[in-house]
Amino acid sequence: MRNRLVPYFFVTPAMLLLITFGILPIAVAAVISTTNMNISAFASWSNVDFVGLDNYVQLFADADFWQALGNTGLFAVVGVPAIVILSLGTALLLNRSQNWFFRSLRAFYFLPAITAIVAISLVWSYLYNTQFGLLNYLFSLVGVPPVQWLSDPWLAKFSVALVAVWRGTGLNIIIFLAALQGVPKEYLEAASLDGAGEWRKTVSITVPLLRFAIFFVSVTTTIAWLQFFDEPFVLTDGGPLGATTSVSIFLYKEGFRLNQFGYASAGSIVLFVIIAAITLVQLRLRRADDEY
Amino acid sequence: MKRTAKTALAVAAVAGLTLGMSACSAPAEEASGPLTVWVMGDSGANFEKLVADSGIEVDVVAIPWDAIDEKLTTAVASGNGPDILQIGLSKLATFAEAGALLPLDDLIADHPDLAPENFPAGVSGLSTAVDGKIVSIPWTSDTRVLFTRTDILAENGIDAPPATWDELRADAKILAARGEGQYGYYIPQWDAPLPIEMTWSMGGEVIDADGNVDFDTPEFQKAVDLYTGLYADGSVPTNSDFDQTQGFISGIAPMLVSGPYLANGVASAAPELDGKWQASPLPAGDGGSISLFAGSNLGVWYNSDQVDQSLALLDYISQPEQQLAWYQLTGELPTVNAALSDATLNADPNVQVYTAQLATAKVLPIVANWDGVVGTGLLNALNSIVLTGADRTTALDAFFAETKGLSVK
Repeated sequence: MRNRLVPYFFVTPAMLLLITFGILPIAVAAVISTTNMNISAFASWSNVDFVGLDNYVQLFADADFWQALGNTGLFAVVGVPAIVILSLGTALLLNRSQNWFFRSLRAFYFLPAITAIVAISLVWSYLYNTQFGLLNYLFSLVGVPPVQWLSDPWLAKFSVALVAVWRGTGLNIIIFLAALQGVPKEYLEAASLDGAGEWRKTVSITVPLLRFAIFFVSVTTTIAWLQFFDEPFVLTDGGPLGATTSVSIFLYKEGFRLNQFGYASAGSIVLFVIIAAITLVQLRLRRADDEY
Repeated sequence: MKRTAKTALAVAAVAGLTLGMSACSAPAEEASGPLTVWVMGDSGANFEKLVADSGIEVDVVAIPWDAIDEKLTTAVASGNGPDILQIGLSKLATFAEAGALLPLDDLIADHPDLAPENFPAGVSGLSTAVDGKIVSIPWTSDTRVLFTRTDILAENGIDAPPATWDELRADAKILAARGEGQYGYYIPQWDAPLPIEMTWSMGGEVIDADGNVDFDTPEFQKAVDLYTGLYADGSVPTNSDFDQTQGFISGIAPMLVSGPYLANGVASAAPELDGKWQASPLPAGDGGSISLFAGSNLGVWYNSDQVDQSLALLDYISQPEQQLAWYQLTGELPTVNAALSDATLNADPNVQVYTAQLATAKVLPIVANWDGVVGTGLLNALNSIVLTGADRTTALDAFFAETKGLSVK
């Protein structure tokens, strides 16, 4: 009987933190999402009324919310494969040698991940600037007319996503490089003896053995894209015309600019449900895999 | 990027902290120590200079214009606000609705210099009161006028800055025809008051007789004609990252409507252009040349424990000489009538244009969340028409529906 309680004792600290900073806020948001709470609540609590599911009804009728959902979906569909493939490819190439040049390249690729987002946005907004940006200057040298990187509603989505991909690969490259250390040399040597080429070894041995790392990176990257916020916030503030407004930006604007706390909470609950559902599906798919 | 958790947490924190707020909102005694003053934009150091001789200690916090909403939300929720804060007129109703501002009606009785009649009627007293209470004192004034590069206009056979919107549209077309990458006029895609200035100039209003927001008027349609027409003519740049000061200095966009801050920017960045540009009244429509009375007011935080000292500081900086000193430091125009009519101030021909424009200028309606709902909705509707070719009637109808039911406080 005593022994049965011991595990609970060990998980208590972690559980307390999770409940305080994970579950409780979600519960509070769920409660607020059924009220019309806005900034006037601070003047008097009598300004807060219970409105049931009105916020959700309004949310699903809100064209801006659907636009934000659509943008987030597009970001995830384009961004997740881009980051996974790019970082896996780069990691495989970087793993080919341990000499000083390759080691310094690792640091180089990791730099974007540890650079402050404000500095990144400043540099990229200068690169992207239509009038005096470097990219358009280079284009002008070969006679291409100015491109509206952040002003064209369609192109802006990809310009913003590109910065996020550039910024997101660094950490994942390190994760893949670490996982590559775990690929047994014997397998590769055996395959070489059997006459397998570089490409064959990579596709048939290395990548399958990286399966768990790929799964991990896919899940974390998907969640990151579903909560996409920093890059559009600093580069376009969700513009032009809401073209780069992700769900997180939409919620932030509703909650902290328009002070519609009830409405924003309803949106954050919807986003939470979406992320939880997608992650569960990914976990299920993973369970179907056979271990090597 | 754990944003949902963060958002949820912030909302929870906000909710939790407000529970404790009402308990500590009654200041018993006047405390001592420096006054905390929130100054908008990058004028913090200048504000310290301005009040250096007042004998009042201040602790100035500079708040970026785009961070004010977030800052306000957290300050109201936590009860930890400043003593005095600068408020853009378009935010006044939101601030007051949150209960962030101390009603000043009784307090200004002891400070005759803060009486509403010392300030232009449009921004003082009851015209900026919320729910019938005066919650702010005018501080700086700001308006929108037309700036033109007279040298470029003259080269293209235009003798004088356009006096009407029709002339402006025709001149802009001529100037845009100078070549590839050249424009006649510049419409900032973030400038929400511009279409409203156009509506006023066409003789319209954006508030109906009952105080409700109402854009569904023939005058607003004329303003939309003008706004979309300038784009249809190819007279304005379509990129959202166009820099108006650079565009004006380089001559790419030799005409634009902006505030006195543009004049300061141009004068300091390109002194060699002195005499080649000027300010002139906002172009007129059927309703005359009616511009925006922008500017900022100052308010006292609802639970400040140094109310008397705060009022003393407001009194000090409302003296005409301090108001003129502020103009010298920052280029922001005074609001005190005595300072606005000062002869030395009006010696500058550009300032004469500003002060004359201010005489007929109007403030944006004091509607809660004006910027967030009306301003953003208006820009989204108009820009979707001109930038993405959205259907005009659909876009405008959606905007009318969005703003239906909003009314003046």
